[in-house]
Amino acid sequence: MIKTKEQLRTELEVERQNLTDFYNPQVLINMGPSHPAMHGTLRVMCRVNGEVVEDATCEIGYLHRGIEKLAEQKTYHQWIVYTDRLNYCSALANNIGYVMAVEKLLNVEVTERCQWIRVICMELARIIDHLICIAINALDMGALTCFWYLYHWREEAYTMIEAMCGMRLTTSYARIGGMSYDLPDNFDVLMAKFVKGLPKSIDDVEKLLSSNRIWVDRTKDVGVLTATEILDFGLTGPVARASGVDFDLRRDRPYYTYPELDFEVVCGVKGDVYDRYLVRMEEMRQSASILSQCMKKINKGPLWVDDRLIRIPAKADVYNNMETLIHHFKIFMEGIDVPPGEGYSCIEAPNGELGFYIVSKGGPKPWRTRVKPPSLLLFQSFEYSMKGAKIPDAVSVLGSLNIIAGELDR
Amino acid sequence: MSKLLPKNQADQDRVHDLVTDMFKGYRIDRDATTETVLWLNSIAELPQVIKTLRIETGLQMDRLSDLTAYDNIDGADGPKRFVMVYQLYSMRFHSRIRVKVQVGETEKVPTITSFWRAANWLEREVYDLFGISFEDHPDLRRIMMDERFQGHPLRKEYEMKDRQPFPDSLPVRIAARAPDLLNKE
Repeated sequence: MIKTKEQLRTELEVERQNLTDFYNPQVLINMGPSHPAMHGTLRVMCRVNGEVVEDATCEIGYLHRGIEKLAEQKTYHQWIVYTDRLNYCSALANNIGYVMAVEKLLNVEVTERCQWIRVICMELARIIDHLICIAINALDMGALTCFWYLYHWREEAYTMIEAMCGMRLTTSYARIGGMSYDLPDNFDVLMAKFVKGLPKSIDDVEKLLSSNRIWVDRTKDVGVLTATEILDFGLTGPVARASGVDFDLRRDRPYYTYPELDFEVVCGVKGDVYDRYLVRMEEMRQSASILSQCMKKINKGPLWVDDRLIRIPAKADVYNNMETLIHHFKIFMEGIDVPPGEGYSCIEAPNGELGFYIVSKGGPKPWRTRVKPPSLLLFQSFEYSMKGAKIPDAVSVLGSLNIIAGELDR
Repeated sequence: MSKLLPKNQADQDRVHDLVTDMFKGYRIDRDATTETVLWLNSIAELPQVIKTLRIETGLQMDRLSDLTAYDNIDGADGPKRFVMVYQLYSMRFHSRIRVKVQVGETEKVPTITSFWRAANWLEREVYDLFGISFEDHPDLRRIMMDERFQGHPLRKEYEMKDRQPFPDSLPVRIAARAPDLLNKE
């Protein structure tokens, strides 16, 4: 596959000629890796004819940090912080997806209160991720107002998350067998304000966008993926649902307390950027309703599993009791012993199926941890769905797929 | 909780029984989450098995959920160097199956890009990080690492600290395309 110097030189010469010829249908345009519309570090090489993209190739790996390799060197607890850096827009969902996989290997069941808190976290993460997606998608097309309307609620959500775990972006909230902190005392007040205010803002933004001539022209029939193509590319999440693939892991293979909640799986018809926008808007409303249901159903109870080998001792006991101090030391210096075995666990993350496949051979470190991010397959489909579109359309398609470079490259 | 609903569990059990019936003479396990793990005897039968799992009425494993590999240098899962892992999902029955097969260091794995285009980048990733090559893959080149990178980072002998920084990036070419196989079969 390696080309000789002569071959490379001829290729370069052809490319130069192509660029100087105005009417040439073979012009190559490079977008990224540092480009304001490329959301992080994505790179796309387009072959354009006039303004129409005839072919494209995506290049990834600019944010590759070897997170899967790092997982083999760290204990299960130490790796939780790396899950924040996968999809940094919805770190909470990543934390929980990972600890869920480890808990399945350990065969522990977290307490009911913990399950409710985790559902709340995942729905908050979903709302934040969708807010970012729509706000940035509109911003890429020049609509700055929606950005301010939506980012206000993102800020409110982050304030809530800060009250929950002391962090805003990289939360590391979940622990194996529990959560690092319980919900704060005034959480129901914060949440009541949030679930009341957010749908209003969503309505406002819908009034700004849904029948906006520019928005409709830029998004309708752009980046269409049919239901067959969705399955072919293995896509999940809002993008798949916008194409009419009625699939949501929260309903079809539920985990935690989702079976007790009443929500609808939102589906689109055409699978264009406009439908994806509508699906995300409605999903945020559904998530807000889930959040208020959760706040009604959550009740007091233990947060941690009652297993001394897994449970992290309370700080007060660690400081006052020698045995507990040793215990604490053992958990953090040596790690939790996970029995040999393997498991694949996935959650419905904001962008689709986020899976963790862990192979354990006993001991505190995994043999192999595989992250299956939704973004990888989404970005793979981008090469195909941008074909035939114009370059500005490619920007709107990319925004609607909501690719996060952190989980794409790992 | 992490336990499945009775309906999902029943489907999972039914799939397990069906697979046990269909694949006599194969090693079939259940993992920590009671999912079926089907071990193939040789890498050559992979496309045929994937096709069977995909079209069998009681299974309909029509979505490729994930494709990866792991290093088997300690020989815990057999004599060969790597284990390929295919996670399939049935959109109809909402159940999963995992197909695993051992691969030697110099062996070539038949590509499954003709079943799902999703496999394209996933196989490239396995090629990049483990050095397992695929037969008939339309565009087999590194995906995460630079073309100039030496070695395969997810192999166990690759040291964590072996960094290979490159100051510049290579020009990108338009990639070779797989034939449009949507209307195959």
